[in-house]
Amino acid sequence: MLIENPLNSSEWSFPILELFHITGFAVAIGTVALVDFRVLGVGLRDQTPGQLTRNTSLLTAVSLSIAVFSGLLLFSTDPDKYYLNLAFLFKIVCLLLAIGFHYTIHRKIIFSAASLPAAKLVALVSLALWVSVIFGGIFISFVSEGLTFG
Amino acid sequence: MLLSFAIWLQRRELFEFLRDSSHGYEIILSLHLACISLFAATVVVSDLRLLGWGMRGESMSAIVRQLRMPKRIGFVLTATCGVLLFGMKAEEYYYNVFFRVKILLFALVAIHALAFRRSVYGEDAGLDRLTRPPRRARLAAALSLLLWLCIVCAGRGIGYIPPPPFTHHFTASTAAN
Repeated sequence: MLIENPLNSSEWSFPILELFHITGFAVAIGTVALVDFRVLGVGLRDQTPGQLTRNTSLLTAVSLSIAVFSGLLLFSTDPDKYYLNLAFLFKIVCLLLAIGFHYTIHRKIIFSAASLPAAKLVALVSLALWVSVIFGGIFISFVSEGLTFG
Repeated sequence: MLLSFAIWLQRRELFEFLRDSSHGYEIILSLHLACISLFAATVVVSDLRLLGWGMRGESMSAIVRQLRMPKRIGFVLTATCGVLLFGMKAEEYYYNVFFRVKILLFALVAIHALAFRRSVYGEDAGLDRLTRPPRRARLAAALSLLLWLCIVCAGRGIGYIPPPPFTHHFTASTAAN
């Protein structure tokens, strides 16, 4: 029984989904970056990293959810193309690491020990992971099929 | 005249070098997007505060003041990446309607910044006099969010239009995007 993906029946669905995806991750990664830069001592110095995280965490969570959900829908429009794309795989690995890191180690350090030098390392790792997700995403359309079915 | 400037610009040595590099365009585009993330967060957080929807624990003037420098830095970094991207394929961008719309929207953003400079983004203490954000601040924030959203749309649209085949430096790799 072959079911056609309704997203593929209109040529506007992909661009519209992409715009939700882009705005979603831009706001999510940006708010995380604001906190990370604060830990590194740059910008928004009136608040502690903990206060800043508490103030932006809802925005981060909501926009990240939008980004992930639209990403799943985008993936559904052509699963084979993405599954076989090395850049996409790299992006998903970095994304899982970034989300996992963000809600465990990163959160713990921000709320308990933000002034330690270790906190700066945590902030840099967080920034590196999220930027890698962006790089992976861009390179999807620039990398040709890198894997084959076994 | 603009077309001849675009063709002259893309022949500069810097942009020849970037075009000949193996992944220069993709890397700068990724950096452009990373800087957009940073800049978008500063705009969204300050505009949400001006609308009265987020971070209500902090005063409006404090948020606007503290985010002023990150906003400027984010914009300068993003614009630098944008200029580098433009120089690499200036002629193609000249013919791209989404790019032209994007430039027009930047002009509108500049007008917006000038129009609300004194009353909202510059006049810090005056914002906090009322408990509810003043109407002008909410208008400025709503327009700002709308304009920047349109700029993101136009920017993404750029990649959907294939370059005209008669441009100089047209290669098969640009058609594949």
